[in-house]
Amino acid sequence: MTDSWTLVADCALVTDSVRSKDTITAENISKTYAEVKAVSDLSFEAKPGEIFGLIGPNGAGKTTTIRMMMNIIAPDSGRILFDGRPLAEADKNKIGYLPEERGLYRKAKLGEVLEYLAAIKGARPQDFRPAIDGWLERFGLSEWKNRKVSDLSKGMAQKAQFIAALAHNPSLVFFDEPFSGLDPLAQDEMLAVMAELKEKGATVLFSTHIMEHAEKICGRILLLNKGRAVLNGPLADIKARYGRNAVQIEFDGDASFVKKLEFVNSVVEYPRWIEVELRQGIDSDELLKAVVGKLKVRRFEVVMPSLHKIFVGLVGNEGLGSNGGASYGQV
Amino acid sequence: MVKSKYIIRHEFRLTAANKTFVVLTILGPFLIFAVTALPTLLAASPGAGIKSNPIAVYGAPKAVQEALQTAFSGMNIQIEPVDSVERAKEGTLSGELGALLVLEAGWPDGGKALWFSKTGADVALYGAAKAALESSARSERIRASGVQPEVADRLLAPTDFDVVKLEPHGEEKAISDQAFLETLMTVLVFIMLLYMTILLYGQMIGRSVVTEKTSKTVEIMLSSVTSRELMMGKIAGLGLAGILQYAVWTLMAFLLNRYIGPLFGLALPAAISMQNMGWLLVFFLLGFFLYASAYAGLGAASEDEQNLGQLAWPLIIFLIVPLVMLNTLVTSPDSTLVVVLSIFPLTSPIVMLARILVSSPPFWQLALCLSLLVVAVVGMMILAAKIFRVGILMTGKRPKLQEVLRWIRVE
Repeated sequence: MTDSWTLVADCALVTDSVRSKDTITAENISKTYAEVKAVSDLSFEAKPGEIFGLIGPNGAGKTTTIRMMMNIIAPDSGRILFDGRPLAEADKNKIGYLPEERGLYRKAKLGEVLEYLAAIKGARPQDFRPAIDGWLERFGLSEWKNRKVSDLSKGMAQKAQFIAALAHNPSLVFFDEPFSGLDPLAQDEMLAVMAELKEKGATVLFSTHIMEHAEKICGRILLLNKGRAVLNGPLADIKARYGRNAVQIEFDGDASFVKKLEFVNSVVEYPRWIEVELRQGIDSDELLKAVVGKLKVRRFEVVMPSLHKIFVGLVGNEGLGSNGGASYGQV
Repeated sequence: MVKSKYIIRHEFRLTAANKTFVVLTILGPFLIFAVTALPTLLAASPGAGIKSNPIAVYGAPKAVQEALQTAFSGMNIQIEPVDSVERAKEGTLSGELGALLVLEAGWPDGGKALWFSKTGADVALYGAAKAALESSARSERIRASGVQPEVADRLLAPTDFDVVKLEPHGEEKAISDQAFLETLMTVLVFIMLLYMTILLYGQMIGRSVVTEKTSKTVEIMLSSVTSRELMMGKIAGLGLAGILQYAVWTLMAFLLNRYIGPLFGLALPAAISMQNMGWLLVFFLLGFFLYASAYAGLGAASEDEQNLGQLAWPLIIFLIVPLVMLNTLVTSPDSTLVVVLSIFPLTSPIVMLARILVSSPPFWQLALCLSLLVVAVVGMMILAAKIFRVGILMTGKRPKLQEVLRWIRVE
């Protein structure tokens, strides 16, 4: 392909690339609940050794898509392929899943729950027992192994859930909003684990409504809105395509005048930070001149637009869904 | 189905480690023993367990005092003649005396007999006193009318009256009042056990499904197993715990009857036979699978435990009806209503078990009851699995009936 990223509108079908082992492919999948079309004609492919981001605001259809990819619910039309053949029940054993809504059996002991969840993935005790011990050790939860899940703090329970997704050594892992509710240190730990999985050749799918997270770790993304794909392709290419004439400024003061400047196309605005998209042919110097003296500039950087900016540019603010839309957070 | 093994084991462990389960398993047999053996104990010694303070008697001739003493000695109660009614009333009020019996001057034909007690509700005691007084009065009147004492004894001699139960194959079994009481108690205990366990396990399944749904554990489970494996694993795991419980009870009933009962000269009621314990287990299993599947479906359709409680009410009524009808079940086990209820699957486990205990239902009715139950269990499982599959993933709102019906139709 000349253009390695693709607007999905031009790409109804996934390319017939070589379907290597552990590749998961969605082919024109759709799902309707009652009268609501949750997912509409979606196609994408996640390959081993990459982190694939499923991104979109709340209500965009991410969870429905993941449930179909996990064979928890069946698509109304289209199909899911794993290793190049239709996804079967037995494939669940190779898949690890961290659901958005976390929950473990609260009355059972942590070690027992983890072993139980690994066992129903078809893993053998001699394989999953050392793996569970290793993960517990790594996340500092070893001494909690024989305590009840209800005794764990929220952060510990999140880590435990992470272990539950990985204890059976899956070759494909879904992380649905993995960072929600985690403190920055724990987020770093999770990021490191995801990077390791990628290095080891696992296929990592990652869903989030926080676009900065996706920008930091995903190689390729699928941007969803109202059940439809808006963008699909390598993140770097998407950014290169849209990355023209944007400037980020960190400042003290009132930057509300910036959006009124005639050479400014649009602004994403926060109290101490703005991202400005300039009109075609306007140099960033113009902007620098305009703000000097009016704002105490702490950082001025010519950048590619954020994913959020691209998303808003493509679908407009109304595309941000009914639940408050895409939001920002820190990794 | 290999995965089901782990689910069954997990659910079994969770249930068997539950305090309610342990308490019920241990106390169950004692409940059977206590309630069914109690009539035997009481019949042997009606005063057993009652604090036997002496009963004051005022104004009774020597012969009447003796008759009263004979009547009360079976209850380990002494008769104490007193000469002050007021003091005896005080003694009764303070609890030193069990009661006070006053025969007015001229009794039996001129004055009344008065029974004073703290409660006025000691039926067994004043019943015994009344019987003894009537008997004494009758003897006295016959004697006063000039009839010879031997003739009087002959006139007053009780007649024999036996109740014989006809069994199939021409067997006949004499039934004493006590045996009837024992059967009644056994039926009561058996159907209470069946009611309690079916309801308890059904609710455990329902709650377990709701918890799995509300705690979102279900998403992880369904990423590993099918919804059918999950539901059946839960039902089978709890069913296994139920079988363990019934096995413990049967074993304890056997041990009690064989080794512990003889030590105290007690025997379990004849109705608690191994054969009837077998029927209890059969009807538990069928009733359990029927109600557990229904509860699994209801749990999946519920938003939370409170919602489950509301949805389950119509189901519970079918379990309660036989309990309310206990009297009819025992006295008219072959009436049309009882026969119909013993064939209708939602009531048949309890009603048919009661019929088996008190009479011998015809083979065709038993066969029809069991076949319909098996069909109902399979049907309920299919229906519940369909509701379960869709409902388990639905959160955030209470589904309407039409919605649930649509889930059932989803292919």
